[in-house]
Amino acid sequence: MDRLENSNIVKEMQDSFLEYSMSVIIARAIPDLRDGLKPVHRRILYTMLESGFTPDKGYVKCAKTVGAVIGNYHPHGDTAVYDAMVRMAQDFSYRHTLVDGHGNFGAIDGSTAAAYRYTESRISKIAMELLRDINKNTVNFVDNFDASRKEPEVLPSRFPNILVNGTMGIAVGMATNIPPHNLGEVIDGCVRFNGVY
Amino acid sequence: MAENKEHYNESDIQVLEGLEAVRKRPGMYIGTTDVKGLHHLVWEIVDNAIDEALAGYCNSIEIIINKDNSITVKDNGRGIPVGVHPKTGLSTVETVYTVLHAGGKFGGGGYKVSGGLHGVGASVVNALSTNVTVTVYKEGKIHEAKFANGGKIIQNLTVIDSCELERTGTTVTFKPDPEIFDTDIYDYNTLMIRTRELAFLNKGLSLTLRDDRDDEDTTGETFCYEGGISEYVKYLNQNKTAIQNEIIHLEGEESDVIFEVALQYNSGYTDSIYSFVNNINTHDGGTHEEGVKRALTRILNSYARKNNILKEKDDSLSGDDVKEGLTMIVSCKHPNPQFEGQTKGRLGNSEVRKLADSVFAEGFERYLLEHPEEAKLIIEKNLTAARARVAAKRARELTRRKGGLELTNQWGKLADCSSKNPEISEIFIVEGDSAGGQAKQGRDAKTQAILPLRGKILNVEKARLDKILGNEEIRSMITAFGTGIGEEFNIDKLRYHKIIIMTDADVDGSHIRTLLLTLFYRFFRPIIEKGHVYVAQPPLYKITHGKTFKFVLTDEEKDAYLASLPSTTKVVINRNKGLGEMDKEELCDTTMNIEHRTLRKITIEDAMLADQVFETLMGEEVEPRRKFIEENAQYVENLDI
Repeated sequence: MDRLENSNIVKEMQDSFLEYSMSVIIARAIPDLRDGLKPVHRRILYTMLESGFTPDKGYVKCAKTVGAVIGNYHPHGDTAVYDAMVRMAQDFSYRHTLVDGHGNFGAIDGSTAAAYRYTESRISKIAMELLRDINKNTVNFVDNFDASRKEPEVLPSRFPNILVNGTMGIAVGMATNIPPHNLGEVIDGCVRFNGVY
Repeated sequence: MAENKEHYNESDIQVLEGLEAVRKRPGMYIGTTDVKGLHHLVWEIVDNAIDEALAGYCNSIEIIINKDNSITVKDNGRGIPVGVHPKTGLSTVETVYTVLHAGGKFGGGGYKVSGGLHGVGASVVNALSTNVTVTVYKEGKIHEAKFANGGKIIQNLTVIDSCELERTGTTVTFKPDPEIFDTDIYDYNTLMIRTRELAFLNKGLSLTLRDDRDDEDTTGETFCYEGGISEYVKYLNQNKTAIQNEIIHLEGEESDVIFEVALQYNSGYTDSIYSFVNNINTHDGGTHEEGVKRALTRILNSYARKNNILKEKDDSLSGDDVKEGLTMIVSCKHPNPQFEGQTKGRLGNSEVRKLADSVFAEGFERYLLEHPEEAKLIIEKNLTAARARVAAKRARELTRRKGGLELTNQWGKLADCSSKNPEISEIFIVEGDSAGGQAKQGRDAKTQAILPLRGKILNVEKARLDKILGNEEIRSMITAFGTGIGEEFNIDKLRYHKIIIMTDADVDGSHIRTLLLTLFYRFFRPIIEKGHVYVAQPPLYKITHGKTFKFVLTDEEKDAYLASLPSTTKVVINRNKGLGEMDKEELCDTTMNIEHRTLRKITIEDAMLADQVFETLMGEEVEPRRKFIEENAQYVENLDI
């Protein structure tokens, strides 16, 4: 016969809701202040670096990146990953694109990008600055979902991406909306703030 | 103990037998011996203090949770009488605490209105405690009596000290018997919610709750509401947008029955109507609630007709229309209430209906006439509700018409079971087609039906019935259950007596579970109340060693299993995430098979608290939700990154 446990609906709701909302806040919709990236973006960039899709080499099919991201770090749907990647390649979505795309990545009029079997991409030059020195023990690495690999908790980020590219995210109970800023001015500001002048 | 025996006479032996009966059958007196019963003891003592307050002699009550999980209740009432009681030959304090059905509530000079009716409260608490100390401050003297081991007198009432003449009151400390109760740990929150409720229901009475179990030096929380139930309505509406500025508060009294009601409309779609008799929640309503509802519908209809808002050819507003977005507290103090129904949750005194109707009708009509602006807002709210009701009816008819020939289409992707007997039939609500397919292949097709849902369903807390009926996933659930929805809901037509929510063990699974529970709570509440809703428990870990493997449900089970293996075994432990990770045999064996599975049965313990939780978590207002998340973030066990 069934083994039964009683569960008060109040506790069931609170526990389930907290699990969901905290995960959405921490690990889905709100970016990390330090590199201005949500996990999906960070995983795309790190996967591309690992696979060697860097600006000094040729473009590679997006399908390769999407597959590696899902298989290694991001156990979710392929469209979520590809959509995030496409946005990173659109110069009308990002002040400075983090992915250098080749092919149809959509247009500002709302037309969508081609499927990932057609499009090609590599890391953009400026995104290399987010990743620079990542293997020099600059950031913490944590286990991926099945503890078979390690992924960076945050990227080293040589410029304040969260201010430069801005961000938008709607989580549960909280949301964020930061506009993009001029790269030169932000860096001047940082230098001034740190008292180097 | 031996020396005490000599003082016993025949009547004393009767007393002990009385309390012995309480210890043997505690359920008869306090309901259960679980957490609920444990907390119930506190209210038995507090109720006595509140009776003093209702009689007008007490304005402050203090409840303290002591370090050893004993409870102290202090009041500043008149104090229990200390003289020798003519019938028992004992002091009145000892009589009250050791004799069942001894109390000042059976008429005569004691109390007019009281929460306790049977005069068993104090003696039952004594019977179920290891230690009880009663201190009475009266006429400049401090009297004390002590009881132990289920109400045996170890210290007769004696004067132990003197105090100022003005100081009066009773202080009771008791320690529940761990042999009787499943647990002896008091939950602060449970006590706090009821304490606050009592403060709302007894205006001007100050109730303090203090937790002394931790070393922090606190003064506790004090609840005191001069506005009484008006402030209760304000509190319930704090997360909602009210559509009238003020709260309507009406009162009336007739032959010792005091009747009170407070209400305010908000822009939400559900109603929060709670009624109380002598501070006891009558969750099934009764004559006091019926009287108000009847008058509310009548007055609003006549006002709308008189002012030509409702035209001659229009249908009248129904009872459901005027309830939408209504927050209302009905409180009645009755010297001789009759409770009816299976759980004694309904007031049966028919004279209260008339009183409630006349008090409410008169006051509410005057309010509408004096506040034409707000009256208009209320009627408009009612009219939108009426229009939505008509739209929902049309949508429902549409779903029904679609049936017949296209039966399979209308039922969505339901894979039904072959049995037509609801008692043995169960339905699994599964997230996504990938898990649904596996469940379909591995189920016992005779009794187990599978309904896969595509993605996340609509949050019904933020939508009206007509929109909800437009949602395909919800429609397929309604059709599968067979009960209908809204005014057509009929639990007798339920096709499955077990509705089992089986979502993935990841955070999106948690989210879908909250959405489903919201749907069930708001539109199918009787199926939860009757215990038909369950949550499946897929195993948390898969432990592999060599060629054998085992699934375990909890961390404890995992540790126990690992300990049972020889220490040299090489084990691999995998944490299960999606249901899709398991083979169909594994899924069915661990999670669906009646022989091996564990189910969590969903229960509603406190409907008012549940209402608030659904509103906070799923409702329109964001701010309370953010606050809840911030306050509780530290308790999250299972983060998915």
